[in-house]
Amino acid sequence: MRVYVVDNGGQWTHREWRVLKYLGVDTKIVPNDSPVSDLKEVDGLVLSGGAPRVGIDPEKMGKNGEYLDAFRGPILGICAGHQFMATHLGGAAAPAKVPEFGKSVVKVHEPDVLFEGLPDRFEVWESHNDEVTKIPPGFTALASSPNCSVQAMRHRDRPLFGLQFHPEVEHTQFGPDIFRNFLKVCENST
Amino acid sequence: MTFDAKALIVEQVEGIRKSVAGKAIIACSGGVDSTTAAVLASHALDDRLLAVYVDTGLMRKDETEDVARTVKELKVNHRILRAADEFFAALRGVSDPEKKRTIIGNKFIELFEREAKTFDADSLVQGTIAPDWIESGGQLRDRIKTHHNVAGLPANMKLKLVEPLRDLYKDEVRTVARTLGVRVAERQPFPGPGLAVRIVGEVTPEKTVLVREASAIVEHEIEVAAKDKRVPLPWQYFAVLLPVQTVGVHGDLRVYGQTIAVRAVDSIDGMTATYSKIPHDVLDRISIRITNEVPGINRVVYDVSNKPPATIEWE
Repeated sequence: MRVYVVDNGGQWTHREWRVLKYLGVDTKIVPNDSPVSDLKEVDGLVLSGGAPRVGIDPEKMGKNGEYLDAFRGPILGICAGHQFMATHLGGAAAPAKVPEFGKSVVKVHEPDVLFEGLPDRFEVWESHNDEVTKIPPGFTALASSPNCSVQAMRHRDRPLFGLQFHPEVEHTQFGPDIFRNFLKVCENST
Repeated sequence: MTFDAKALIVEQVEGIRKSVAGKAIIACSGGVDSTTAAVLASHALDDRLLAVYVDTGLMRKDETEDVARTVKELKVNHRILRAADEFFAALRGVSDPEKKRTIIGNKFIELFEREAKTFDADSLVQGTIAPDWIESGGQLRDRIKTHHNVAGLPANMKLKLVEPLRDLYKDEVRTVARTLGVRVAERQPFPGPGLAVRIVGEVTPEKTVLVREASAIVEHEIEVAAKDKRVPLPWQYFAVLLPVQTVGVHGDLRVYGQTIAVRAVDSIDGMTATYSKIPHDVLDRISIRITNEVPGINRVVYDVSNKPPATIEWE
């Protein structure tokens, strides 16, 4: 199975690649201006975190919009990838009232395949200046933290997932399990 | 699935052999990354390799002697350069942390290019690892800090760059190091710019002596506590000299002295970290020793910041 990581200029983009590699997936980091045609044989996409301020200037996210429109497989957006998913599909993102850097605690409100096997509450690692302020039509918010109401979201029908926190870093609890759950979705979609 | 060190070793030794037609020099700091890269390069190139260690004047207490030993154990051609005067001169009057890193990176290359010419090498092997190029940024990726071995390289560098550990994180490098029997596999990370980035503000020989002594105390006390199982050995633990003077009292006399910050963090790959929960009596010993033994320091503070929002190093 092939799951590529779209590089949005994040500090932990390469970590996303590492986790996928350790989970035995055929993976590669691709620049975020790669043509959609490069992703024909890909089974799932991760839209990585990044430096662009999606809440202020979503224009710096390369071809992420095209991937969301044209890629038919499951997509996991992380941080900037998650915020862009929201803005591109009819929701909104803006500078966070209280940005989060480092440790936070996430509470899962809605059961979902992405959090299967996980407890309701777990420690996560964040690094965000912006946040999703309005989830797009057709999406459900899945989890929140005391300072950020949309820590996770998904489209009700399509396999599109967004996470504000970073499952790919060592300090986020159950990070690899979340990726494993996403990979299960990718398997079931091929 | 876990990291396959043996496969990487085979792959990278072959890779180095393919990349280096003639001769290469390798930049050695005595640290895990460069020593591991040097062992791989020695397997690939043998006689065609020159290991170069630069004593920048910014190394820790007794470090140069230890590094010289590590380099000799590689059993390849080696040179030990004493360049403290050159580095201090280049850093005179510079306070900006990014400027310091760039100056040091450029100075390293200047010295390596000199040695490469004499040895007739066309390639430079470095122990660069993933966090180095990730944090140095480029295009979309913001520069968090200039790692001397990435962004400190001049654009017109003549040597061909060979970096066998580029995709690895420190925990993976240690696995490779242990597999190869590298003596320094468990050594704590030490930045290429050395003590220059552990002095906030201008770097001088006098300040370097102070932070070197303070760091030796921090390292010793924490290692003793870790050996006694009072605290897990931190990922990194060191002292930083701050540009802050504060009031103190010494023997009924007012003093206006300098401040040391103690930094200790727990991490697996250096990309996220938590501050180490050092027992208070250990911090107490560190504080008492530093303020008694290191002249001019009358205050010690402990850094309670995770990464993010801070970085592990202060600069």
